[in-house]
Amino acid sequence: MTRVAILRYPGTWSERDFQHALSLVPEVESDILWHEDADLSGYDAAIVPGGFTYGDYVRAGAIAKLSPATRALRRFADAGKLVLGSCNGFQILCEAGLLPGALVRNSGLEFRCDWVHMRVESDATPWTAGLRGAILRMPIAHGEGCWVADDQTLADVEARGQVVFRYTDERGVATAASNPNGSLADIAGVCNEGRNVVGLMPHPERCSEALLGGTDGYRVLANLAPALAGTAPAIYR
Amino acid sequence: MTFTATIRVFPKSEVRDPQGEAVRGALRSLGLAVSDVRTGKEIVVTFDAEDEPTALEAVSRMGRELLANPVIEQYEFSLNKGVPV
Repeated sequence: MTRVAILRYPGTWSERDFQHALSLVPEVESDILWHEDADLSGYDAAIVPGGFTYGDYVRAGAIAKLSPATRALRRFADAGKLVLGSCNGFQILCEAGLLPGALVRNSGLEFRCDWVHMRVESDATPWTAGLRGAILRMPIAHGEGCWVADDQTLADVEARGQVVFRYTDERGVATAASNPNGSLADIAGVCNEGRNVVGLMPHPERCSEALLGGTDGYRVLANLAPALAGTAPAIYR
Repeated sequence: MTFTATIRVFPKSEVRDPQGEAVRGALRSLGLAVSDVRTGKEIVVTFDAEDEPTALEAVSRMGRELLANPVIEQYEFSLNKGVPV
């Protein structure tokens, strides 16, 4: 059994969606933990869901990075446990320095609420095991999802294979139209050097059952149990 | 001792400022020859510190640890004794 902690800050709004999506994954159980007293001991993985923590004041994710839960999360990640941040969770992980780069206002200034495609660039993270090259279709809903970094950081991230997801069209080709927010190098998600921490702007929890119009999120979340047990069902690979 | 810090946070010059670009377009629509606009924010903080060096260090921490993200932003500040006028 894989135990997953789902962190809830003031303004988090996707924690119950994640808990529901994870309930569909065999051998996974999850708890929603309030940020002030989140005790991550005994958990194998932690998820930082989307939302608008602290109203996005200062910058998206900036205030949440000072929360006790984020300090606990840093220790958790340092211990090699799995961490996934989606949308505002990705912004929090970048603000906290757990992931490289930063997320700024979409280049078109629009809040984008849409379905996007992205290509899995790395299967070296436990979250994307067996998915390299897969074209995933997931929803996005964000105003500040434009991933940026200085030239050196971008070069390092590319060279070290830390780009996990890249926006493409449905055939896996990156075009100007397939990048919804102006992210550098079409980057939709990155991992840390240890590869145990992954962040992405799209919402895997909102496409984990056919009723919601897509199941590609499940292909990521389903890696949770197998990643730790090493027994991934072939269907998800 | 009470101090007031005025902290200005701006996107770094190499980071695109889409809000600034939108404002530039709007100002041009007024018929003005506007070549560039950078937008940022100003934060005024009133706080207590033992002396001026301690206050300076406190403001630096505010900038470094919360108000500006060094990946994308730079900040500058002025520090005055007393409350805002």
